[in-house]
Amino acid sequence: MTFLALTNVRKVFPNATTPAVEDFNLSVQRGEFVSFLGPSGCGKTTTLRMVAGFEFPTSGSITIDGKDITGVRPNQRNIGMVFQSYALFPNMTVADNIGFGMSVARAPKPEIKQRVTEMLALIKLEQLGGRYPYQLSGGQQQRVALARALALRPQLLLLDEPLSALDAKIRVSLRNEIRTIQRQLGITTIYVTHDQEEALSISDRVVVMNQGLIEQVGPPFEIYNFPKTAFVAQFVGTLNAIAVTVADPAAGAVQLAGQTFHLPAAITQRRAGDGVRVALRPELLSPASTGEGDENRLTGTVENVAFLGAVVRVHLRIGDALLLIDEFNNPHLAVPAIGDTLTVYFHRESCLLLDA
Amino acid sequence: MSQRAGWFAWLIFMIGALYFILPLFGTFVFSLQKVRGSLGFSAYEAAFANPDFLRTFLFSSLIAALTIVTSLALIVPTAFWVNLRMPRWRGVVEFITLLPFVIPAIVLVFGIIRTFGKPVTIFGIPLLPSLLNTELSTNIVLIAAYTVLSLPYMYRATDNGLRAMDVRTLAEAAQSLGASWFTVLMRVILPNLRTALLSGALLTFAIVIGEYTIAAFLARPMFGPYLQLQVRNRAYEAAALTIVAFALTWLAMGVIDLITRQRATPVTGGR
Repeated sequence: MTFLALTNVRKVFPNATTPAVEDFNLSVQRGEFVSFLGPSGCGKTTTLRMVAGFEFPTSGSITIDGKDITGVRPNQRNIGMVFQSYALFPNMTVADNIGFGMSVARAPKPEIKQRVTEMLALIKLEQLGGRYPYQLSGGQQQRVALARALALRPQLLLLDEPLSALDAKIRVSLRNEIRTIQRQLGITTIYVTHDQEEALSISDRVVVMNQGLIEQVGPPFEIYNFPKTAFVAQFVGTLNAIAVTVADPAAGAVQLAGQTFHLPAAITQRRAGDGVRVALRPELLSPASTGEGDENRLTGTVENVAFLGAVVRVHLRIGDALLLIDEFNNPHLAVPAIGDTLTVYFHRESCLLLDA
Repeated sequence: MSQRAGWFAWLIFMIGALYFILPLFGTFVFSLQKVRGSLGFSAYEAAFANPDFLRTFLFSSLIAALTIVTSLALIVPTAFWVNLRMPRWRGVVEFITLLPFVIPAIVLVFGIIRTFGKPVTIFGIPLLPSLLNTELSTNIVLIAAYTVLSLPYMYRATDNGLRAMDVRTLAEAAQSLGASWFTVLMRVILPNLRTALLSGALLTFAIVIGEYTIAAFLARPMFGPYLQLQVRNRAYEAAALTIVAFALTWLAMGVIDLITRQRATPVTGGR
C-alpha cells in the first residue's frame, strides 16, 4: 500500500520562466528507501522541500498514509529531516539537540532523557551527550542530526545530501550506517543526492531527475543496466557514447572507423549512412573473447592506461572515438602498453542506441 | 625589507595610539589637578559626592536599559525576517537604519517636539494627546528617540550575528522538529545571537549615557546634560567624570571581548 504519494506535483518559483518541478508522480511504500538522483538544479531538493513543507506546490498534491498534507505547515507534519550542513543548534549540547523536538512537544523530562539515551546508543555516541556540536567531527555531527530527526518517531525521514560535506571514507561508512538504522527502524525514507554511487548503493528504488522531470524510477540494478533514456544512461555510471554510422538498419549493423558491429535489434526510422550514437559501458568491453559466434569486436590503439585501484581503465582510440575499457585489477592482469594494438569484445546486448 | 616594513607598521601604530591616548592622558592629568600644586583624586571625590551624579547616572542607566529592551523587541524580529524571508528588502531596511547617521539629533528632537508637543491629529481627528505634557509620556518619547538613535548599531550587530549563522537551515531544522516561529526565535536564534546582541546593547548603552541634545531639549535629568553642566561650572569634576565614563566604556568592551573569545565557536560545519 502506498504510504507517500506525490500526484501531478508542479512547482514554479516566482519570476521563474521554467518550472522547478513538473508533472512529478511517485508512490512510495511504507518502509521503502527511495533516492532522488540528478544533477544540480534538476528539482530533487525542491521536491524534498515540498514533502517537508518548506515549499508548497504550485499545483498537485502530497499525501502521507492517505492524508493530504499539501498545505500543512512543516512543524505539523511529523517529518524528520537531516540537512547537508547538519543544522545542529550550536547553543545546545548533543543531548539537548536530540531532545529538542520532544521538549518542544512538552514531553515529560524522564521520557526525553530515556529517548535521548536510546538515540545516543543507536548512533553509538553514548559518551558524547554533554558535548557541543563544535566539539564533534563532521561525521559525528551528522549522526547527531540523524538521531535528532529520529527522536520524535517521525512518519517519514528526509535526508538532503547529508553526506556531501564529509570526506570519502566517512561518507561510505556513514551511508551504510544510515541504511542499517533505516532498516532497523523500518522508517520510510527519501534521500536526495547527486552522487550516483551513493544512490545506487543504499536505495530500494532510485528516482533519476533532470530539468524538473522524472527520467526513470526503478531499483538500482534496473536503473544502471536498463536505462530508459539517454540522460539516465549517461548520468548513471561511466559511459562510452560513440558516434557511429548506420550500415544495415534491418540487421542493426553500424560502423565505427570502418569496423562493423551489431546492435541488439534493427534500427528503425534510420537509413544506411545516417549518424547515430551508441552507448557502451566500459565494464562490458573485454580484451578477452568469450568465443561466442555473434560477439562484436573492435580494434584500436591504446592511448592511455589508468590505474584506479580496483579497476584498470584502458583508453582505446578507434578513429575519432575514444573508448574506455574497465578491467578488474589483479596481480596477474596483462596490462597493455601505450601504443599497443588491442581488440575488445562485447555482446550486442551490451549496446544501447541513444538516439532511437 | 620585511623588517623595515614591520618597523614602519609599528611607527604608524604608535602615532595612532598616541593620537587617541594623549588627549585622554591630558584629561586624566587635568582631573588630578583640582588642588593647586599637587596631584590627587579630590575632583573624583567631589564628582561622586554630588547627589546629582548618582541620580542622573541611574536615570540614564534606566532609560538605556529600556531603550535596549525596545530595540531588541523591534530589531531582532525585523532582522530575522529580513534575513530569512525578505533578503531583497535588506538594502531598504539598511538604508532606514542608517538614517540616524544622516539626520542630526537636533533635527530629530525638533521634529519630536513639533509632532508630539501638541495633540496628534490625522485629518483633524484627534489621535493622541500631547506626549510631552507628563514626565512619564516624555520618558516614553525619549526612549523611542533613543531607539531610533541606536538603530544603526543594534541593527548592524544583529544582522552580523544572523549572517554568521545559517539562519534558514537552523529555522527549518527546528520547524521540522515541531517548533513554531516563536519557539524558533526564542530557543534557537536568540541564544545564538547572544554575543551580537550584547555588543549592540553595550553600544546602545554607551550612546544613551553620553547623549546630550535630545535629553536637554526634552528637559530630562540625564547624565549627558549633567556632564555638560559640570564642564561649564566645574572643569576638574567634568574631566574626572569623562575619565570615569571612558573607564566604564573600556570595561564594557573588555566584557564583550571576553565573552566573544569564549563563544568563538563555529555555528555550523565540522571540525
